[in-house]
Amino acid sequence: MLACISSATIQGARGRSVLVEVHVAKGLPAVALVGQPDPACREGLHRVRVAFASAGLAWPGDTKKATINLAPPGFRKLGSGLDVAIAVGVAVAGEIVPLESVAGLAFVGELGLDGAIRTMPGLVPMVATLAGEPGVGAVVVPAEAHAEAAAVAGAVVRPVASLTELLDALGGAAPWPEQPAERVAVDEVVEADLADVRGQPVARQAVEVAAAGGHHLLLVGPPGAGKTMLARRLPGLLPPLDRQAAIEATCIWSAAGLRIPEGGLVQRPPFRAPHHSTSVPALVGGGSVYLRPGEASCAHRGVLFLDEMGEFPAAVLDSLRTPLEEGVIRVSRARESVELPARFLLVGSTNPCPCGEGGPVGSCRCDPNARARYLRRLSGPLLDRFDLRIDVARPDPASLLGAGREEPTAVVAERVAAARALAASRDVVANAELDASGLDRWAVPDDESARMLEAAMRTGRLSARGLSRVRAVARTLADLAGAGSARLSADHVAAALALRTPLSGVEHRLAS
Amino acid sequence: MTVDDDDRAAVIALSGLPGIGPSRLRALLGNRSSSAAWADVCGGRVEVDEALAAACRQPPGPAALLERWTTAARGVDPHELRHRHRAAGVHILCPGDEGWPSSLVDDPDPPSVLFVLGDPATLGHSPAVAVVGTRQATRYGLEVARGLGRGLARAGVAVVSGLAAGIDGAGHHAAIEAAGAPPIGVVGCGLDVVYPRGHRQLWERVAAIGALASEWPLGTKPAQWRFPARNRIIAALADAVVIVESPPTGGSMHTVEEAVRRDRPVLAVPGPVTSRASRGTNRLLADGAVPACDLDDVLVAVGLGGIEHGTPAVSPPNGDAGRVLDALGWRPATLDQVVLRTGMGLAGVARHIAALEAGGWLASDGGWLERRR
Repeated sequence: MLACISSATIQGARGRSVLVEVHVAKGLPAVALVGQPDPACREGLHRVRVAFASAGLAWPGDTKKATINLAPPGFRKLGSGLDVAIAVGVAVAGEIVPLESVAGLAFVGELGLDGAIRTMPGLVPMVATLAGEPGVGAVVVPAEAHAEAAAVAGAVVRPVASLTELLDALGGAAPWPEQPAERVAVDEVVEADLADVRGQPVARQAVEVAAAGGHHLLLVGPPGAGKTMLARRLPGLLPPLDRQAAIEATCIWSAAGLRIPEGGLVQRPPFRAPHHSTSVPALVGGGSVYLRPGEASCAHRGVLFLDEMGEFPAAVLDSLRTPLEEGVIRVSRARESVELPARFLLVGSTNPCPCGEGGPVGSCRCDPNARARYLRRLSGPLLDRFDLRIDVARPDPASLLGAGREEPTAVVAERVAAARALAASRDVVANAELDASGLDRWAVPDDESARMLEAAMRTGRLSARGLSRVRAVARTLADLAGAGSARLSADHVAAALALRTPLSGVEHRLAS
Repeated sequence: MTVDDDDRAAVIALSGLPGIGPSRLRALLGNRSSSAAWADVCGGRVEVDEALAAACRQPPGPAALLERWTTAARGVDPHELRHRHRAAGVHILCPGDEGWPSSLVDDPDPPSVLFVLGDPATLGHSPAVAVVGTRQATRYGLEVARGLGRGLARAGVAVVSGLAAGIDGAGHHAAIEAAGAPPIGVVGCGLDVVYPRGHRQLWERVAAIGALASEWPLGTKPAQWRFPARNRIIAALADAVVIVESPPTGGSMHTVEEAVRRDRPVLAVPGPVTSRASRGTNRLLADGAVPACDLDDVLVAVGLGGIEHGTPAVSPPNGDAGRVLDALGWRPATLDQVVLRTGMGLAGVARHIAALEAGGWLASDGGWLERRR
């Protein structure tokens, strides 16, 4: 008898539907699995077989010839997500459950030897794909992954915990297990609060501007100045992800095998901080067998923090240039190519010089050439992407010990949301995306600030590209201050220039 | 004594022998023509007289050195060397030549040959002032060096230096930009071996509009012991030496000694007592060097007197800009500190800081702000 079961496999951060065809007929007892299964998928056969035994069922392959085809056969099927579909197919073709019972159903999940149905990396995009397929009325998912599956596919998921439970429900011996009550999405992580940052008004302002305008931020400062602390507080200022963005992010996280938060959706902007030993595939995605999303994609709609940027190999850093430009990463292999979303806010940190101290003139052991060489390790085109470049000095002890309370994240986040709303009225997500015509419309320097910008360009502090970035940042500053006029005042332009500090030694090469 | 092409070729070959420095070369030449000396070296017939023995008293001693030179001389074709220098546009100056700088005629320790790119007559430009100092210069030192380089060139004074990193380079960059008197660079390696490598453009500009000189043939690599020798030529060519910044020991202090030996006035730029880069210059001042507080001080030292360039007295800014300047105080401060002290917020402060910086009231570097006046 022939059974056709809907399921899916993973490709990059997207699901791709697969039809599991199982044919069981008289013949020499054997099981054949065809249709380009990868090793994990092929091993699924052993898991299914033992799971049948655990459920007290006879394995049709012991007495008949079973052929399993993963259609279409033109691409590789990855991972263990087809286990349940294969098991159901064998059960139908082996006449253990009736054919009609699987009509309109799709199955994803991995089997344990005891018959437990478990989740696996990539489940969310697979469910999302299957839920959109015509002819699929409901998707059977592992009970433990119910939250995330329900979050992307709505009510059409049926959670099951074991093979016995599943076959009983299909055979009519028992009703489908009840859907667990929907869990309320809660922010489980207590996010670091901006109120902890004291004595560093410029850095606080920079973080706020970065969040409001979507401007990439480079923090230059000695160890212990609080660069990582600042970066960690940035996601808390960003608005929560809207539903579309949350589904994108959840699919990526699932494909990358990250734990999905309670509630089933990645709703808070992610914060990813890969170490400087990270390889190119680990950062932008890739891998020889399984094209896994990289850290840059995991930071999609959130913050990608590169601590000690100068320590990253140049090739790794330069691999970020396309995603910074286009918001997606295209990974191509001989067999396939995938597109991984990666629209993130980049925050970099670096010491000012090899000894790390920087500090006032003459206080550091490094000569100007050594400083320049150190910062030159960051490639010019990449540095150019940072609209905000600030020097972070260690705060005064007095301001750390003082009783004064700084504004908490919640208050600043409100201003950020208001500024983002203003940006949305200009048809962009954030001011960093304003193009030349947008800037000419919304960010016109007034006479005094025009003179200031002209002087900065004449002295070589600002390039033509730098000029447009400073205008965008000034626009964000004006939005945050509630200045509605399209004219930029000298205050905001001067502050935008101050937030784009020349990097000592490299400014001439870069022309900022 | 007239110098013919054979002599010029021979002196190139001699100056390129291993371990040969100015005093050994002078002792080796003695009163002979260089072609005669070269023939002796090649034939192993050099007699060790008193002068040569004194110049070669350090190990391995005269006999071993002579042997080494004779070995090295084999396979060297002096005329081929001369053609290579010609082709590279290098002038070969020898004592007694018409273009030999007059300041070197009575020198206690004169070079036996000078290789020059550019116009050799520039080496005799008078007045000339050496603007030298440490390679590890602070922003302050670089700024002073630039100011002096610019001002001296405009006042018609040739700037002399070793074109090293730091002070030397800063002074010469400014002198070239000012497009006044021609610049003079004296280097301690072959004229084709740019050191530091980042100064290639500077070398080329100096050679193009002034003179770039060395007592070493093309291809000579920089070595520690060649820099002091180079410094004595700087001191000799200059009518006065200004040390902008220098630690208590180092090349600049050597230039000072050479200047004192030649009775050239030595000026030093005062610096903060906390700065390591100014410790040597401040010590020089304590020892009686003339303070170089501005361009006039230097011009007076070379007999030019003050040039009218007076800076009108400017009253300190008032209002919010004044508050920002007061909040900054006289010690370096971060932007954070200024924002906190004024309570005006970044947007309020940044604009005044930009204006104050443009007006020369403060400078910023590496995230630190510093009041300048």
